[in-house]
Amino acid sequence: MTARPVPLATGTSTFTPAKAKSRKARKTAEQGARDLNRNRGVDFALWLYILLAYAFVFAPIAASFVFSFNSDRFPSIPLGEFSLDWYRAVASDPLVWEGLRNTLVVGVITGVISTVLGFGAAYTDYRYKFMGKQVYLALALLPPTIPVIILGLAMLAYLSRVNLSGNALSVIISHVVVCAPFAMAIVRLRLSQMDPALEPAAWNLGASDWQTMRHVILPFCKPAIFGALFITMAVSFDEFAVAWFVSGLNETLPVKVLGFLQGQVSPRINAIGTFVFVTSMTLVILAQLLLSGRGTKFRNPSAGE
Amino acid sequence: MRPKISLYGLTFSLPLLVWQLLFFVFPLLFLVALSFWTVKNFTMRPDFDTVNWVTIYGRAVFWQAYANTFAMATFGAVLTSVLAFPCAYAIAFKLSDTARRWAVFLMVIPFFTSYLVRVYSWQIFLSDAGIINVLLGWVGLGPFPMLNTVGATTVGFLTLCFPLVVLLQLFSLVFIDRTLIEAAHNMRCGRLRTVVEVIIPSARVGLTIAALFAFILCFGDFVSPVYLGGGEPTTLSILITDTTKSGQQWPRAAVIALTMIATLLIVAFAAVRFAYATTKGGRK
Amino acid sequence: MTKTHLLGASGAVTRRTLLATGAAALAMPMLSRRAFAAPTELTMLAWYGHAEPDIVAEFEAEHNVKFVPKYYTGGDNMLGLISQSPAGTFDIILSDAEYVQALNAAGYVEELDPNDYALSDYFPEFQNFPGNWQDGKLFSLVTRFGFLGVAYNTDALTEAEAANYNVFWDPKLTGKVGHFDWHLPNLGQMSLTAGNAAAYDMDEAGWEAVKEKTLSLRPQIGGFFDYGGTFSSLNDGQMLAFAGIGDWITGVLEKNGAKVRSTIPEQGGLQWSECFSIGKGSQKADLAKKWIQYITSAKGQAKSAQMAAYPALVPNQKGWEVLQAENPAEAKRQGMTKDAGNAMDMIRAGRIQYRQWPVQQDLETWNDFWSEYKGA
Repeated sequence: MTARPVPLATGTSTFTPAKAKSRKARKTAEQGARDLNRNRGVDFALWLYILLAYAFVFAPIAASFVFSFNSDRFPSIPLGEFSLDWYRAVASDPLVWEGLRNTLVVGVITGVISTVLGFGAAYTDYRYKFMGKQVYLALALLPPTIPVIILGLAMLAYLSRVNLSGNALSVIISHVVVCAPFAMAIVRLRLSQMDPALEPAAWNLGASDWQTMRHVILPFCKPAIFGALFITMAVSFDEFAVAWFVSGLNETLPVKVLGFLQGQVSPRINAIGTFVFVTSMTLVILAQLLLSGRGTKFRNPSAGE
Repeated sequence: MRPKISLYGLTFSLPLLVWQLLFFVFPLLFLVALSFWTVKNFTMRPDFDTVNWVTIYGRAVFWQAYANTFAMATFGAVLTSVLAFPCAYAIAFKLSDTARRWAVFLMVIPFFTSYLVRVYSWQIFLSDAGIINVLLGWVGLGPFPMLNTVGATTVGFLTLCFPLVVLLQLFSLVFIDRTLIEAAHNMRCGRLRTVVEVIIPSARVGLTIAALFAFILCFGDFVSPVYLGGGEPTTLSILITDTTKSGQQWPRAAVIALTMIATLLIVAFAAVRFAYATTKGGRK
Repeated sequence: MTKTHLLGASGAVTRRTLLATGAAALAMPMLSRRAFAAPTELTMLAWYGHAEPDIVAEFEAEHNVKFVPKYYTGGDNMLGLISQSPAGTFDIILSDAEYVQALNAAGYVEELDPNDYALSDYFPEFQNFPGNWQDGKLFSLVTRFGFLGVAYNTDALTEAEAANYNVFWDPKLTGKVGHFDWHLPNLGQMSLTAGNAAAYDMDEAGWEAVKEKTLSLRPQIGGFFDYGGTFSSLNDGQMLAFAGIGDWITGVLEKNGAKVRSTIPEQGGLQWSECFSIGKGSQKADLAKKWIQYITSAKGQAKSAQMAAYPALVPNQKGWEVLQAENPAEAKRQGMTKDAGNAMDMIRAGRIQYRQWPVQQDLETWNDFWSEYKGA
């Protein structure tokens, strides 16, 4: 019997669901899977879509890169001459270097603290029921809902009263407040994918709470922990609004860029942007290479290491 | 679940609680108090006066800005989610492991570039003498005004949210139980039907959270509306800066901010409730 | 049952170590630089550009000083920053004239000794500048000023056309007129257009006239821009005319080849002025004083006039002479020459009025109206 192609859901109208079901019942599973779900046209369209999406995301980054080498003070097409002036201006500005240093220090520390706090909160939410849990969750998830302008001012007013404002520490404090919820949401997402019988199973096998955590939960959550670390660092790297308020004279780099954008709209912005971008890309590429070099072997997450 | 309070449990739950109390709740309470202060001659004075609340809520401009901001944020969130889904879907299901790793890596890169720098770049693209109009000019199409419009602000929102939404959706899609999909195929579901009836519901948590993040980011953003939208229409974030730009009216700004917080809170809890509604414990 | 992993299994330490070493490497140039120089740091709170090398390099070299600027985006912003920082954070404060009184009233600035500064070299109109003095004591010194009028694209408008505020209503400029996003200069200009004799001092009827005039302009407006946005939209030709600004923007663009200019229309122009003061509680008041002496000296004034961030007119007569010798083209462009119709002549002829707070209305009223106007 020849296989009769079953049209897709968007196909002709002669098929009623009832008819379709009975016809489906006659087909073998594999044949159907093969025919239905590999459509060259759709695959190609999806590939193209991915390309377009990445083009959209990278267009401004690429333009910034190109224009950082452009001599024009106010860039547009046609391009001016090739010039390294903006890089020279940026590299010779010790305040920019200091901004970069502040950003890195703040970003790394914020990422680590946020991930630790976020993980703790996500696990608490996952495992425990207690009175006031809603309040706890609200506290944990609220910060991103506060408009950064006001959060910035509130933090500045508050921190300056306790003499904690105007330095890297105040930026770290504020950033952790903003970033920890992201970490918590990501880890919580991962935990919701875990089989709830896993933990009790480990207990039944004699593992203590801490051992279960170390050998069962943490390995399972590793991708989420990395994701959280990544994303919280990234959020901190680019955070300019709150940092602008509380960093005082110890500005982070994004605050500098905001200053340039508000003040002079100088192509120095492009130079800084490209430089930071290349640096972070290098770091991340190195990290990725190390990671894939070490662990392409696939492991079952529940088995631990 | 063991309900006993243990050192183990406290170790995990307390740190965040303490941190947020100290560095989040207290400044927030200060904000509430601030909304009752009065301003005279550029100085704020601690007071207890509802004049700020009455004034702000009594102004049509405020409600206009509120409606505009809410609408634009919703549109931004929905658009980003819809545009991001095919991309996330394709990465999750159509790429090999290595290709997927590279795709994720590439999508993380924008996080390490500055949002401000990207917005500045978009100005170069969208302005009347900008790259897009020049390219259109080569084909003979007249210069289209793209900058200083709501459309440009939307482009800015996309730039802000797209990578995050793609990654969050991807994160969710990738961990979908593949047997469910196989089962659907075995039951002769077409591609589109599988997507609509199996994949999307399974990934509901991730998709909703992604949309929620997008909404929150767009709702509070002031960079795109100012630098790409030309300040039109007035959003709540612009209203806040306007209120503080002349006369140090931080108490009034605090009122606007508290209203924004309340709105986002309601939206966030509704979304989270919707997301986790039938997926307690991971069972569908 | 296959579950794919996005990221590798282990290596958290590696990535963190990488980032840490990277950060340490980047810190090296800073450390070595610090070890050798050890200059005194002077903090400055100012508009963008006042601590850039073109202005401060000479002073820094001479006195072994390093300026650490905090740039603000508006007077209120400045006040907010000062009020929330501990006393003595800022050694030098640059402020718009309108805000100087607020600085005084709140006790944010130190008293100055007029004998320390070259006040006698100033034009007589600036020796007793409103706001600088309080009860016979000096608290700040006006160091630069400029005019606000009609800024326009020279390809789109001729100087004659631009010599009247009514050009903003010209149909060929629909959607191409921009506002600098601050009510004070814009409404002042609208006030002059509406026929008020004093731009900022009018009664209820005069205020209604201003509101009406302003609202009628709304359909022409293409956008409301901040400092940076104003630069780009004028330069790109996105906007062909701009209200609320003057040579302080177009001067920079002109220098970079853009086809823009500012002109004082027949209804009159407004004047913005900037004053330097010493922050209260500053630990380096002596050095701060030296800076103010420098920037108000003839040489410093000529430098200030040619500041890269935005040019300005200067109140020191000797400064004019130095500029005429150093850069006659710029002196001529700005009107700081001995020719008839120079900047001081304009002031003396009454064509320029100070930008100031509204006299008979509340600042709040103006602010509220501006928000309404933007949302219209």
